[in-house]
Amino acid sequence: MVGSLLHPLNIFIVGLGGAFLIPLLNRLGSRWVASAFIFALAAMTLMSGISLLEVLNGSPPIDILTGGSKPPYSINLRAGLDEAVFAFGVNLVGLIGAYYFLREKYGTILIYLLLIMGIQGMVMTRDLFNLFVFLEIVSIATYGLLSLRDTPEALSATFKYLMATVLASNFFLIGTILLYATTGLLNIDDLIANQQAIAGPIGFAALIFLLASLLVELKPFPANGWGLDVYETARGDVAALISGGVSTGVFFALLKLLPLFEGQLEIIAAAGVITFVVSNLIGLQQTTAQRLLGYSSIGQIGLLTIAACLLRLANVDSATFLLIAGGLFINHLFAKVGLFWLADYVGKARLQDWSVLKSRPAAFLAFAVLLAAISGFPPFPGFWAKWQLVMVLAQDERYVWIVLILVGSLLEAAYLFRWFGQTLHGPVESQTARAGSGALVPIFALGLLLIISGLITSNLAGLNSFWPLIPLAAGALTLLIAPCPAWVQCLTVLGMALLGGGWLISDVTGLNGLFAVLLLAGGVTIAIASLYRNDTRPGFYPLLAVLLLSLPALPRASTTLEFFFIWELITLSSYFLVVRSRDAQRQALPFLLFSLVAAFFLLAGFAILHADSASYSLSALRTAGPNSAVVFVLLCVGLLIKAGAVGVHVWLPGAYAASDDDVSALLSAVISKVAIFGLLVGTYVAIRSEVSLQLAHVLGWIGMLTTLAAAMMAVCQDDMKRMLAYSSMSQLGYIVAAIALMSHLGWVTALYLVANHLMVKGILFLVAAALIARTGKRLLSDYGGLAGQMPLTFAAASIAILAMSGLPPFVGFGGKWLLLSAMMEKGWYGPALMTLLATFVGFLYMARFIQAIFLGPRRPDYADLEEAPAALLTAQALLIVGILVMSFFPKVLIEPVSRAIDPQFASTLVWQGMSLEMIYGTWNPIPIMLLAVAVSALLFGLFWYLQHAGLFKDMARRLARNLSPLQRFYAFCRTAFGVLTPPWASMFWSRVAVTADDLALCARSIYTGNGQIYSLFILYYVMALYIAAGGLRYLWP
Amino acid sequence: MISSIVLITGLLLILIGLWGALTHRNILRIIISFSLMGTGTHIVIVAIGYVKNGTAPIIDSALGLAEAPQRAVDPIPSALVVTAIVIGLAVTAIMLAYAIRLYDTKKTLSIEALMESRW
Repeated sequence: MVGSLLHPLNIFIVGLGGAFLIPLLNRLGSRWVASAFIFALAAMTLMSGISLLEVLNGSPPIDILTGGSKPPYSINLRAGLDEAVFAFGVNLVGLIGAYYFLREKYGTILIYLLLIMGIQGMVMTRDLFNLFVFLEIVSIATYGLLSLRDTPEALSATFKYLMATVLASNFFLIGTILLYATTGLLNIDDLIANQQAIAGPIGFAALIFLLASLLVELKPFPANGWGLDVYETARGDVAALISGGVSTGVFFALLKLLPLFEGQLEIIAAAGVITFVVSNLIGLQQTTAQRLLGYSSIGQIGLLTIAACLLRLANVDSATFLLIAGGLFINHLFAKVGLFWLADYVGKARLQDWSVLKSRPAAFLAFAVLLAAISGFPPFPGFWAKWQLVMVLAQDERYVWIVLILVGSLLEAAYLFRWFGQTLHGPVESQTARAGSGALVPIFALGLLLIISGLITSNLAGLNSFWPLIPLAAGALTLLIAPCPAWVQCLTVLGMALLGGGWLISDVTGLNGLFAVLLLAGGVTIAIASLYRNDTRPGFYPLLAVLLLSLPALPRASTTLEFFFIWELITLSSYFLVVRSRDAQRQALPFLLFSLVAAFFLLAGFAILHADSASYSLSALRTAGPNSAVVFVLLCVGLLIKAGAVGVHVWLPGAYAASDDDVSALLSAVISKVAIFGLLVGTYVAIRSEVSLQLAHVLGWIGMLTTLAAAMMAVCQDDMKRMLAYSSMSQLGYIVAAIALMSHLGWVTALYLVANHLMVKGILFLVAAALIARTGKRLLSDYGGLAGQMPLTFAAASIAILAMSGLPPFVGFGGKWLLLSAMMEKGWYGPALMTLLATFVGFLYMARFIQAIFLGPRRPDYADLEEAPAALLTAQALLIVGILVMSFFPKVLIEPVSRAIDPQFASTLVWQGMSLEMIYGTWNPIPIMLLAVAVSALLFGLFWYLQHAGLFKDMARRLARNLSPLQRFYAFCRTAFGVLTPPWASMFWSRVAVTADDLALCARSIYTGNGQIYSLFILYYVMALYIAAGGLRYLWP
Repeated sequence: MISSIVLITGLLLILIGLWGALTHRNILRIIISFSLMGTGTHIVIVAIGYVKNGTAPIIDSALGLAEAPQRAVDPIPSALVVTAIVIGLAVTAIMLAYAIRLYDTKKTLSIEALMESRW
């Protein structure tokens, strides 16, 4: 009895019956209408939910027969797994969204109910003509709902929408009847079974008409101007219905008819990819929220279309298909609908006015969640679906498709997160969002659903352990204590990081274990410094929790999926941390985009690795496959971007300089090491193949070039954080070169340098934080003579600088020493020479840092400056302890490192004692030491000569005024190095950005706003499809 | 023969409708063109179901079960066309309703007045 009540057929009975009853109930009172409305939607949701559970439990697809006879003599419907997922998703969103319609007139409520019911019909029906009827029900209901906003723009847009959809449904009807004329069939299953009967010019035309109609309804580029206009002008909740509901129905119709279009799958996928890429490109030029969402919406449907066709071509099993198509669909449905609802809540058309959201932190959080979901970040379903999609495509060797999909995704992230930055940093208005808080509840519900569905999909995608989710859980917990004072939150985060991180790294061994300890300890130590600020920093501590726990989780990853998941968590949390800073509006976006490109390279690399080895295990990197060299290059490019190698470094200085001061320290000291860890893991593959070893040599050169160029650029900076940023980039170059050596000694050096840089740069950025906290100044030229007032900070900075510069007795000396030895061992004389050069340039900027800030005459306005805050000093002290331990007891680190490194490399280091002499005693340091001294002396001499020989006479004259000799020397160096490091990279990348903007402007010029032109485009689209599918052969005998 | 004439008429009507919808600037004319296109489609549907010298598909003493497939007109297109006509009517009504509201707000029926949103 209950079973028959919950049969999916009743969805239609309830939907239609409810719609009939509502006018009658309206006579009883509007409360009755609302109750019946909610009841009907809830019942429909329940029924589709039950069907979903049933098919999930393995029962066969539920067939729904009508009219008392079997198909084809009657219409039948079906609720299989795919149908149930799509129907349930739409019902759920329909039920939640009903909130916004409760106070509407009964006619509107009735139409809403019919619309949801019609979409169910489109999803479930197995009869072609019935599909047409449901399509028309949905269309007519949409026309009705669109009239809810009757501004002139909305009316115009709706009329264009009407013209286009009437045209499309006419094509559908013609296609249907032609198909009937050729085959005598209307049942979709029968049509698929008798496909060979669909032949000849009429059969072919029938198929093309059907296909064109469905594609046009999905709003493909360029025949989609009418759809965009409606997205822009409709009420947000109605646009949400079109984007999430109507498009879903049409997409599913296409999905179920795909077997008929077996010969056209690539053409359909091409239509999808054009739409996906171009929509997201034009999205870059949008200034109004709903139109931007419209472009994104159309793009996402394009992506779904690509996935559906290519997965069919790849013959994937139904579970994979559901994971990808279902994941993308659910992601689009929840996230896009949520954003359209949010657009209503905000009530502002222009993107820049969305900054009103800032006054509602909860709404702002929802906004961030929805944007992250659309952009395909974890833990949302889109992330897992995209991952799996790329894996399948790589297996199918569809590399071009992968590239196009990733390019489209990047463009989408670009405009969505630019919007986020604008919202976060826009001018604060007194006027707050106009809708009541109740309107937020459905949006939160969708956010929650996104997270839940993300967790479910993660399981389907093969993430079977819970530990990768610990960072997110910690973030969520910290969010709960947001009302507490800052220090409580900070201590909680630190406690959680120590406990959770400690557990995470407890059973990680070898190289990974070392990195895990390093990342956790470094992260926590530097995060202690965050205690120095006691202002409320909305969102800071939850993000910090996610970051601090993701860092040690990364080395724990044993599969590529776990690795990529945590990698993206780090990317996302660090982006949000960076963008929080007021100065970072412009710098955060490049940071995110370059990080995303890096991640995409990793994704592609992992996908090819998986296609090669059929394994998701990271250990597959240790066995050579046919494409090892490709995998190596892809991974290296991605990781080099993330490490800020020269040429792709343009994101780095800005992001490091503009972030909050403690975040800069984290970025430079700890987060940058993530890329290094990736390199160590990823380059294993190189060891196995000869080709890649050559590439490793290239990698070494890139590393040293980065070191040298960044050191020169560091000298040119006056902003101390920028200087430290370039210095960080330079030091990372050393590490990259050390890894590229691919020798035991090289890798020991790399780890040694990693530890060194972590501590040194941590201290220096915290010193900068202290200085800025006390003076508010950032330029080196604004400082001078602070040694007396801030003696502890001075001491810390001096130790750090000494340790970095490579002067004995500190740790940097050992590092430099090891590096030179390793290079000589390998016969890399060029890079070794560059190491020396870079060391010399490094001296210049490091000496300047100390000299300009702490030495020289004291500025009068700093007379009563206090010593740095205790929290900063504590963190620095801990790091100094680390430096001292490493300097005087190097064995503590080097021995485990040496043991942890793959025994693949023949061990060349034998440790005997605890002191430096004993360790370095294995080699004879004198010749290289002499060489170093000689080169430095030579360079100093050269510079001195150049300055005095008048080669730069003009400049020297300009500089001569009012400058001390030392200042003049630095001014000279800055100019000289400025000439040596032309800003080619930033010119190139801004050119790329401008080109993308220009292309977008060009592409969108077809959207003239003229409804007839839009209709003409539809006609052209049909013709183009006909020709592309090979229809010309039917036009002459 | 009759069927072919009807079929061609239907197809012609579709083309005329399409042409009208794309060339006329007046919204009412555009709506009429869409109506024509719809009617053309309906005629095509009916023509496809027609059987030469056929009779109504009612099985009784005049038409036995055995000869029905040969002599009776195919009833399915006729059934479909009824539905299609009803839908076409609804769509036309909605288009006209929008035309009225557009005229109320803009005081013109030209499609060129509908170009507020673009790009």
